[in-house]
Amino acid sequence: MSGRVIVITSGKGGVGKTTASANIGVALANTGASVALVDMDIGLRNLDILMGLENRVVYNLVDVVEERCKLRQALVKDKRMPTLSLLPAAQTRDKTAVNAEQMKKLCIELKNTFEFVIIDCPAGIESGFQNAIAGAEEAIVITTPEMSAVRDADRIIGLLEARKDEIEQYRLVINRIRPAMVKSSDMMSVDDVLEILSIKLLGVVPEDEEIIISTNKGEPVSGTDNTRSGLAFRNIARRLRGEDVPLMDLDAPNSTWISRLVKFFAPVARV
Amino acid sequence: MQLLNWIFGTPANSSGSLAKDRMRTMLVHDRLELPAGRLEILQEELLAVVQRYFELDKETTQFDLQQYERRAALIANFRLLRSKC
Repeated sequence: MSGRVIVITSGKGGVGKTTASANIGVALANTGASVALVDMDIGLRNLDILMGLENRVVYNLVDVVEERCKLRQALVKDKRMPTLSLLPAAQTRDKTAVNAEQMKKLCIELKNTFEFVIIDCPAGIESGFQNAIAGAEEAIVITTPEMSAVRDADRIIGLLEARKDEIEQYRLVINRIRPAMVKSSDMMSVDDVLEILSIKLLGVVPEDEEIIISTNKGEPVSGTDNTRSGLAFRNIARRLRGEDVPLMDLDAPNSTWISRLVKFFAPVARV
Repeated sequence: MQLLNWIFGTPANSSGSLAKDRMRTMLVHDRLELPAGRLEILQEELLAVVQRYFELDKETTQFDLQQYERRAALIANFRLLRSKC
């Protein structure tokens, strides 16, 4: 088998790379694909927490590269989905522990076993980033609709563009969009960000408190049915698999019967 | 667009559109690795060259960096009045 190696990157920290990695991984596995999630944020390991697998980590990526264990020994199977595995980062090493050649070799080994290899890239544009993208053929650039995040995303896109031979395609995910603020024109819209960055859109994820709750539980939102952010990530996974899925309506509230009732009577109340 | 904004009550100087305008200018400079002030020097030099050949209407001279896809375009617009000599 030759799977697809997709790196998830952003430049800026804190825009949701790790959250997106976990959720896209879970959503892809939910479609029936075999998925390896690789945490390349060496020294600042977090993907294991989001997946709720922190207590099962024995070996890590650096152990594999330095041949202290076999790849399959380091892979941690997900609790719920047998087709999903995590390759954790080392917590006590730094980003120089793995080089680009070692990463390429590791990715080849992984894509022989898995249909999707999702790499969670560290923040920044230095060696950690360069190593994380070394074995990838595709990239997902994550940004939020904030100026600093968009500027950093633009820098990343420039760097990916310069490696067209290796990175065949890169697409954008706009994370943490707040529909109400976009509506009042106090946040750049999806169209604004797309126009500025001139890059293909893969998906839009609304700001959602459920993300914090899901991190607390160690269960990514895309594994459950009832959250808007989870649905957004599942749509992204389907688009990655080649399905043509329309963007979700960001204005629709997370509707309960009360909110529907309020909405129904609201126009009358204002008159 | 401004008319639409006016009709639908979207403030044209909202912080979102301000951010978009600032982003545009900033990214054109970032991508070209263009230091601040360099464009103004170029503008003066270009103007001087054109003025050697033409009398022009300085008031309406426009000088802009615009974005096309991920490339920048330098748009200069000189209103020529008559040729010199």
